[in-house]
Amino acid sequence: MTTRSKPAAARRALLLDILNHGALALVALLFLFPFFWMVSNAVRSNAEVLAIPVRLLPTVFEWDNFAKAWTEQPFGRFFLNSFIIAASVTAITVVVSCLSGYAFARLKFPGRDLLLMGYLGTLMVPGIMLIIPLYLIINSLGMVNTFQGVILPVAFGTFGSFLLRQFFLSIPNELEEAARVDGASRLRILVSIIVPLSMPAIGLLSLFTFIAQWNNFLWPLIVMTGAENATLPVGLTLFQTQQATAWNYIMAGATLSMLPGIVLAILLQKLIYNSIALNAGMGGR
Amino acid sequence: MTIAQETAAETAPAATTRRRSRLDVREGRTAFFFLLPSLIGVTLFLVLPIVASIVLSFTNWKLLGKPQFVGVANYVRLFTADPQFWTILRNTLFFTAEYLVLNIVISVGLAVWISSLKVGQRWFRVIFFLPTFTPTIAVAIVWMLMFAPGGLFETVMRALSWSVPGVLTDQTLAMQAVVVVSLWAGVGYNTVLFNAALDMVPASYLEAARIDGATAWDRFWKIRLPLISPTLFFGTVMTAITSLQVFDQIYVMTRGGPGSATATLGYAVYQKGFQNFQMGYASSIAWVMFALIMALTAMQFWLQRKWVHYDN
Amino acid sequence: MASVTVRNAVKSYGTMEVLHGVSLAAQDGEFVVLVGPSGCGKSTLLRMIAGLESITDGDIDIGGRVVNELEPKERDIAMVFQSYALYPHMTVRDNMGFALKLSRRSRKEIEDAVNRAAGILALEPLLDRYPRQLSGGQRQRVAMGRAIVRNPAVFLFDEPLSNLDAKLRVQMRSEIKALHQRLGSTMIYVTHDQMEAMTMADRIVVMRAGRIEQIGTPLEIYDTPANSFVGSFIGSPSMNLIEGVVVDDAGAAALKGRDGTLWSLPGRAAAYKGRSIQLGIRPEHIHIKSDGIAAEIRTVEPTGAETHVQMQAGDTPVVAVLRDRPSLAPGGPLSFGFDVARAGLFDLQTGNSLA
Repeated sequence: MTTRSKPAAARRALLLDILNHGALALVALLFLFPFFWMVSNAVRSNAEVLAIPVRLLPTVFEWDNFAKAWTEQPFGRFFLNSFIIAASVTAITVVVSCLSGYAFARLKFPGRDLLLMGYLGTLMVPGIMLIIPLYLIINSLGMVNTFQGVILPVAFGTFGSFLLRQFFLSIPNELEEAARVDGASRLRILVSIIVPLSMPAIGLLSLFTFIAQWNNFLWPLIVMTGAENATLPVGLTLFQTQQATAWNYIMAGATLSMLPGIVLAILLQKLIYNSIALNAGMGGR
Repeated sequence: MTIAQETAAETAPAATTRRRSRLDVREGRTAFFFLLPSLIGVTLFLVLPIVASIVLSFTNWKLLGKPQFVGVANYVRLFTADPQFWTILRNTLFFTAEYLVLNIVISVGLAVWISSLKVGQRWFRVIFFLPTFTPTIAVAIVWMLMFAPGGLFETVMRALSWSVPGVLTDQTLAMQAVVVVSLWAGVGYNTVLFNAALDMVPASYLEAARIDGATAWDRFWKIRLPLISPTLFFGTVMTAITSLQVFDQIYVMTRGGPGSATATLGYAVYQKGFQNFQMGYASSIAWVMFALIMALTAMQFWLQRKWVHYDN
Repeated sequence: MASVTVRNAVKSYGTMEVLHGVSLAAQDGEFVVLVGPSGCGKSTLLRMIAGLESITDGDIDIGGRVVNELEPKERDIAMVFQSYALYPHMTVRDNMGFALKLSRRSRKEIEDAVNRAAGILALEPLLDRYPRQLSGGQRQRVAMGRAIVRNPAVFLFDEPLSNLDAKLRVQMRSEIKALHQRLGSTMIYVTHDQMEAMTMADRIVVMRAGRIEQIGTPLEIYDTPANSFVGSFIGSPSMNLIEGVVVDDAGAAALKGRDGTLWSLPGRAAAYKGRSIQLGIRPEHIHIKSDGIAAEIRTVEPTGAETHVQMQAGDTPVVAVLRDRPSLAPGGPLSFGFDVARAGLFDLQTGNSLA
């Protein structure tokens, strides 16, 4: 390349770069449209939602639809129910997974490897197969339409045990031995040494468990009857069935249901990316 | 002078006096208590249901009254007498095939495009990833509004002079609508996954290829794609397994309709189990689904030998 | 302060036995060093004394009571690990106070104990730092401080200096030794470095392949090794071992090497006439002698204080450590003799020392 064509080639490369970025930005904007549409319809009167011709933005902005959806409409209650369930499941899962993950990682006992393989087996069972028997179990325990009935069956997944076991294994053994010599019981070691050093993994487990439970539909649908205890996804469909015309409130409710996921996905993007990248590095090779 | 010599003289090889030390017993007991919550939960809510599910599929229990053992009658009915089953099976397979292919193609495309950017990669990743963190129900409801008669979709189509009947009430288009919604909700995860995998391809391979004269097209098909094939395989298997169980969007948008156009196995389990309360029959459908998942996964594992390149 | 007695300790992992019945007794206040090559079982033995490994057979006794079934915390021991094992999320102060916090001492007690230990080891300015902010030597001292705070009956060290560079190692060696003199506690110290063993120990326990080869004071082990393994393990450069047959050379016993070279033997060798044995000569016991054994110099390595010479006497490579800066050139001839009285005699098959 002669020195004369260099700036021209560089300019051409820059132009292509800009076009490249611009094109993807356009695609991304189009991709985000449904979010926009949801919010746009949430802040208009129902008449405007159903008006023909369809308008991108409302003529009158009803920002207080969100507040109304929360207080006058039942979405506030749905939100709270979802939160209680998701938070409870997350708390139980983390505690149970810490305990079992530690046992698998550090304690020697007969049958350990066999049990581990058994746990691995349970991971391969698709959720839909358990729905019916789980409902029957909950029914026989009289826990239909209760919070415990929704929370307990899903709080004991084995995935957390694996995740934490893997992470615990990477903590140097000598730290625990020093603690044992210092006089710490195993439980004390877990709580005071292992857990503080495992915050990334525990954070990850909490995040994915919370979101999965927040977004869960089929199981709360089956267990909860009626609107009193419904979670947001279930409440949305209930509301939609009963008040098929109140689309603006439905959109407001949908926005509310998406908020935690969106906020967490943006705030914790690094954590999420790193954990998925681990899958790419391991689950692959 | 040395104790060692005296000791060697005294002791015969005592290799296998295995008194299990109390320290080890104590460790075993501690392990038991640590595992107890998990074991109780797993037994009660995983193992028990799996066993119960098998047993149920051989009964005709309808929630009230006592279950009666009917042997393989459920399965027989499923495969021979049920008019809907083959439609449902076909729908499920059709959805899975179409969704899987489109999902992988789109997410790979987006992943490659994102990795070609100089700035802002992580923001594009976040944008496409957002829908995967939101409830599928909400996603489906929003799209339902867009597809509603007199709604946005119809307006856009009319502006393009394409006359389109009500999407959700049309036999063929309803399934496509479900596919589109599922794609919007689902490509984000695989996009991030494949993008991460692409970022892990050592730059030295690509530079060497460039020096050898490979074009960008060549570099993609001959180097980057093969090198991320393990991750591609992983993503494909995971996506196939979840797409076979599709439920949420069908419940919201079509309830399996119009007719049975969008009824899938997942939806059928719910319908038969919790609307008709035919628990036994629904269990047998669930097991057919499980068999399908296993078969599909096994097939993919068999196929991977041909197209997946591992490092070793 | 307490004595530690190990009686016939056996350790097996499944069917594989790694310690074959070892016994030793550390007196109250003694500094005992377990030394040996990698895999000899010294760390395993130490961990069994600590309670981190269970004992398959035999007894371990601390301060007169059998501790086989006791947890580490019940044995009144403290341990310093090779990689220091400092809790990364706690400050130095919290690291040192952790054990006392666990045994629910009062805040004042803990503070006093930590400050006292910090004073002994000059750690006061580091008390509020985190381990990642400390150098290797500082971390090692914090690890020792953590042990001191507990005021245990026995201190256990598991190769604590292996991760330090050479200069730091020498400095820490004397610091640990000074600590022992100040505290007077029983200390059991594991290392693979024979120099550490020699300079620090009251008594050395030489181990190999799960057995104890010899127990003795450093000078005992140096002067009268129990077998050729101990002889060549202790002392650097290693003892020269020459094979040959005991013959009679003008009335005195001599070793005839395979190449015919004759080596003088101490008087007691006469009892072994006709036998094939090994002669052990330490490099530092070799001196230049005009009518001695003829050798050809291979390399000359001056260290400043000494000169290490590698030479070939017939078929036998010999290493010598000479003082007084003789002028030597590689390839040149050297005639040497050695201190016959201090030479070792070892059986060829078993390696055992011959009386």
